[in-house]
Amino acid sequence: MGNVTIYCFLASYGVAFALELTRLLKQGAIRQLVVLMFVCAGFLAHTFLLWNHSQDADLPPLLSSSQDWLLVLAWMVTGFFLFITVCDRKLSIGVFMLPLVLVLVASSYFVSDATNTTLTSERGWSMLHAASLALGSVGVLVGIVLSLMYLLQHRRLRRGQVASTGFLLPNLERLARLNWWAVVISVPLLTTGMVTGLVLLLLGTGDGLSLADPVVALNGLSWLGMAGVFVWMLLTPRATGKQVAWRTLLTCGFLLLTLVGLSVLTGSHALAPETAMWNVPFEGEIP
Amino acid sequence: MSLQVVYCNYQTTELDLRERLAFATSEQLSSAYQQLRALFPSSEAVVLSTCNRVEVYTAQDDLQEAPTRGELADFFSRFHGIPVDDFCEGLSNQSGPEVARHLFRVCSSVDSMVLGEPQIVSQVKQAYRVAEENDACGPLTNALFQGAIRVSKRVRSETRLAEGRVSVASVAVGEFARGIFERFDDKSVLVIGAGEMAEEALQYLQQDGVGEVWVVNRTQERAEVLAGQWGGKACRFEDLAALIERADVIISATSAVDPLVELSQFSEIRQRSGDRPVFILDLGTPRDFEPAIGDVDENVFLYDVDALQETCDRNRRARSGEIEQALSIIDDETDRFMQEVYHRATGPIIKQLREQWREVSDTELQRLRGKLVHLPEEDLGQIEQSVQRIVNKLLHPPLETLKDEAREGAPHGLLDALKQLFHIKD
Repeated sequence: MGNVTIYCFLASYGVAFALELTRLLKQGAIRQLVVLMFVCAGFLAHTFLLWNHSQDADLPPLLSSSQDWLLVLAWMVTGFFLFITVCDRKLSIGVFMLPLVLVLVASSYFVSDATNTTLTSERGWSMLHAASLALGSVGVLVGIVLSLMYLLQHRRLRRGQVASTGFLLPNLERLARLNWWAVVISVPLLTTGMVTGLVLLLLGTGDGLSLADPVVALNGLSWLGMAGVFVWMLLTPRATGKQVAWRTLLTCGFLLLTLVGLSVLTGSHALAPETAMWNVPFEGEIP
Repeated sequence: MSLQVVYCNYQTTELDLRERLAFATSEQLSSAYQQLRALFPSSEAVVLSTCNRVEVYTAQDDLQEAPTRGELADFFSRFHGIPVDDFCEGLSNQSGPEVARHLFRVCSSVDSMVLGEPQIVSQVKQAYRVAEENDACGPLTNALFQGAIRVSKRVRSETRLAEGRVSVASVAVGEFARGIFERFDDKSVLVIGAGEMAEEALQYLQQDGVGEVWVVNRTQERAEVLAGQWGGKACRFEDLAALIERADVIISATSAVDPLVELSQFSEIRQRSGDRPVFILDLGTPRDFEPAIGDVDENVFLYDVDALQETCDRNRRARSGEIEQALSIIDDETDRFMQEVYHRATGPIIKQLREQWREVSDTELQRLRGKLVHLPEEDLGQIEQSVQRIVNKLLHPPLETLKDEAREGAPHGLLDALKQLFHIKD
């Protein structure tokens, strides 16, 4: 299993996504099974790669490298997809989730795969920081998918269009409820991630926080957006599902773009030493 | 004898126009029959007006007296005050055997938007009953409509057309309401109207385990009967606005000529109720909710009969095998019905011919009895039987030819020839 590379599961997920797209034209039980097999195969390879990296670095995958952090994120989204698909095979969730998985895996290719060598005394804080950010990001991704599904379902129902047998979406009531929970869960997690990042910063270099840094500014803005939606949702019980979906889609989309975009542009994950306000002081990180 | 039908349905005409051409109330129907009798005194007529179709069937002995499509279009135009040009394009017509085939398809629900729906049978029966009450129908339409009921029974028993979602309410709830709501046991349902459509909707919703059900009708007694039957609560018509404010699911199926709920009224209701999702199924023709109500806010999901067409088309494609089988039965029954009709047309001639010949043979036998008084009764009986056999054998070839001709269509030429040859009068 030492030969497993990113391309193995990227190709597997890619084929699964292509097959998933064809269900929009016609539904078939065999094709669904094939999709599931490809995703499972990719997921297995994905797990092996993360395991190997973790063993090599002697660190949990979330901390081993910036690339692994993104791969863990993709791994969790894939796991979520598999769970939902097994629960309800008729749902067309793959059309929405597999592209996200592909984007995350493909982005990880452009991110630093250098092993962290500096985690010593603050390992617990770092783990909490990386885990809460990863889980919060999964919540953000799920929020994006749910919002898209909501808007599409809402559009179909308002126009009185027939639901395609190959493209079944959950009802609006359920989507709105799940969306609400996705935001409500992900915002505290992201906040925890940010706060622990600050703690790590203080424990580490002791350098001040520069708000002029575009990375800091964008991360801060996207977090503020999410927090704004969070507060608005809690204070507006009569908010309609469509309003929630639009706001979630915009803020989550912005946050996702910030996380992935900055990771790719800076060559490391957004929380890496040189770029993030909540970074772990990874002194001596191998470039 | 001849049959005609002039019609518009969901396949040929939009709901906007159908609701203007509909005969929604019994008063409208009575008035329509009165005008039809005045315009076409020698024609029998039956008007079938449902949410999916408006059809006028006519029948008469003499083809020359049959109303034309144009004359019936004029009747529609004058009755509803709509220019002919507005609906003429969507107005279809059939005559002869195609009329029977069309009605058989309608009554068997092959022609319905919701394939296999049972309501159409009672709607056809009701239409004929109303025509009878208005002295508009006669033996031809009677045979036609009796035949339609018989064919519908046969189609339902010999095919699986009536299985699955076979009511408009079930299709709408299945396709749209389930896309909005996760569950129905915590929802309030308002049913407006107490007719068959409303009953069908109530039956389906009860099976689905809905929460509170309110039934509203202009006639409170009917609402109470329906609510009692299906576990709902009958409410006063005056409380309609308050009930709309509280309902999550609204199904309206009344025969009101004007909208029950207008845009301004509904907007006020929504201001009070907030923006929570509401599913409205308007099965009225004319519609009970102003169409613009669907745009009041983004959580109003308003559907009328025509909104279900796409779903029903898909259902139809999925059950093409059953449709083929039903159409085969209908073709078979149409042929049989037309043979009966043609045969019935030859009946009076055959009867007269037989009576005429029997009269001649009886007269001759009577004369013979007077001359052959010496013969014993037994011998005279033998002679009488022989004469009867001769008469029957002589009549057999022409009558058989007549029957054979009647299988192909009305044997007008042969009937005229027989009348002339044997001096038979109508």
